[in-house]
Amino acid sequence: MNTQHDPAVITAVLMAAEGAINRSLELDPASARDLSGLSGTVLAVECWAPAFEVFAVVETEGRLHLTSYYEQSCSVRVRGGLSDFLALTTAEDPAVTLINSDLEIIGNSAPLITLQTIVAKMQPDWEAPLAEVLGDVAGHQLANLLRQIFRWGQTSSQSLRRQLSEFILEEGRLSPPAAELEYFYQEIDTLVLKVDRLESRLKRLVHRLDNQVQ
Amino acid sequence: MTDKTKAEAGETTHFGFETVDKNQKESLVRGVFDSVASRYDMMNDLMSAGIHRLWKRFTIELSAVRPGQTVLDIAGGTGDLAAKFSHLVGDDGRVLLADINDSMLKVGRDRLLDSGAVGNLHMVQCDAQMLPFPDASIDCITIAFGLRNVTDKDMALRSMERILKPGGRLLVLEFSKPVNPVLEKIYDTYSFRILPMMGQLIANDADSYRYLAESIRKHPDQETLLGMMEEAGLVNCEYHNMTGGIVAVHRGIKA
Repeated sequence: MNTQHDPAVITAVLMAAEGAINRSLELDPASARDLSGLSGTVLAVECWAPAFEVFAVVETEGRLHLTSYYEQSCSVRVRGGLSDFLALTTAEDPAVTLINSDLEIIGNSAPLITLQTIVAKMQPDWEAPLAEVLGDVAGHQLANLLRQIFRWGQTSSQSLRRQLSEFILEEGRLSPPAAELEYFYQEIDTLVLKVDRLESRLKRLVHRLDNQVQ
Repeated sequence: MTDKTKAEAGETTHFGFETVDKNQKESLVRGVFDSVASRYDMMNDLMSAGIHRLWKRFTIELSAVRPGQTVLDIAGGTGDLAAKFSHLVGDDGRVLLADINDSMLKVGRDRLLDSGAVGNLHMVQCDAQMLPFPDASIDCITIAFGLRNVTDKDMALRSMERILKPGGRLLVLEFSKPVNPVLEKIYDTYSFRILPMMGQLIANDADSYRYLAESIRKHPDQETLLGMMEEAGLVNCEYHNMTGGIVAVHRGIKA
């Protein structure tokens, strides 16, 4: 139960998210059909920081119902931090992300992976509502423009990320590259092993000297 | 008998900030709701900026109603909670929409019929103080923004407790006392100045909306209502403040 927050605020956020998800599902019948295969599944998301709990109930018509309060048993419960959940949402391979992240899973993880795959593969037909309002020609033109803006945004954000990474690692030398860091850790590991070996050799010598003195 | 002696004898009650005879309140409240029934939903949206939908949705979540159950929505008015419950209980369940006011029930009935919510829905015109249902026959009772208009709230709560099945739950959604003094000031200004003005402009009825604001101030606060529910025999009683305590939803379980 989300006792720290005003239930009206949480309900507003969940209603908005639920509306957006279900509208997207309406525009992507294939995803809605895949989702209806999970009907009856209840996914509990328990976030530590910020602290909140959300339940996603898959309904028979391939729609999602989001709620902050659910009394019956859940199919799967996932606990973790917000960054872990965000990483899972955008992961290309959810199974690997689940294994490698700090997320704690209680229950059957299969519906969770299926759900994430459906969300990742979703391709809503944004042109349909525009064509309904503006007509086929104008709707198609506007949809094309929006698609181009979206693609430009995606490319720009990828490019910005790459350039920022290059600047931090190569030009600014603000952070070491991953390979360099890996090599540094390996060197430390080797050094630790050498020190351990030296320590045991010294212990052996000290022990031998003690025996000779006696 | 003077007003003072009547009050001492427990024969008077509040109607907004006025003190009236207990047997008068019912007809006065009926007058208010007869007047606002046709524009009730629109005014709710305007008065609360649509937030009443969030309060009601959270109340439905707390009800944890399941398919096949029987739900009674008292003072259900125009039927927005009943429509949601009708979907939740399914074909095997039953939703009883009860209201003392026939104008509100008629508006609710027409709206529910228009929205296709039929089959498992039944309308009952009755008084919350004397609910005409058998003992232990209802799984869940909700009363949203209705308890403050009931003449004898303790009697109504006892009546609700009587008809609940063991383990059944009562949910009372009602205006309450804001927890923040600054919010309380703003809320008072809104209730007593802006609300009657909106009532006048939209429903041409400032008095009814002034009564709504006054009746909210006369309604028991969170802790008092919690005590009243426990007094009526409900257990595990709790409440959740919403929108800074302007509204609270109380929940109690029949032992």
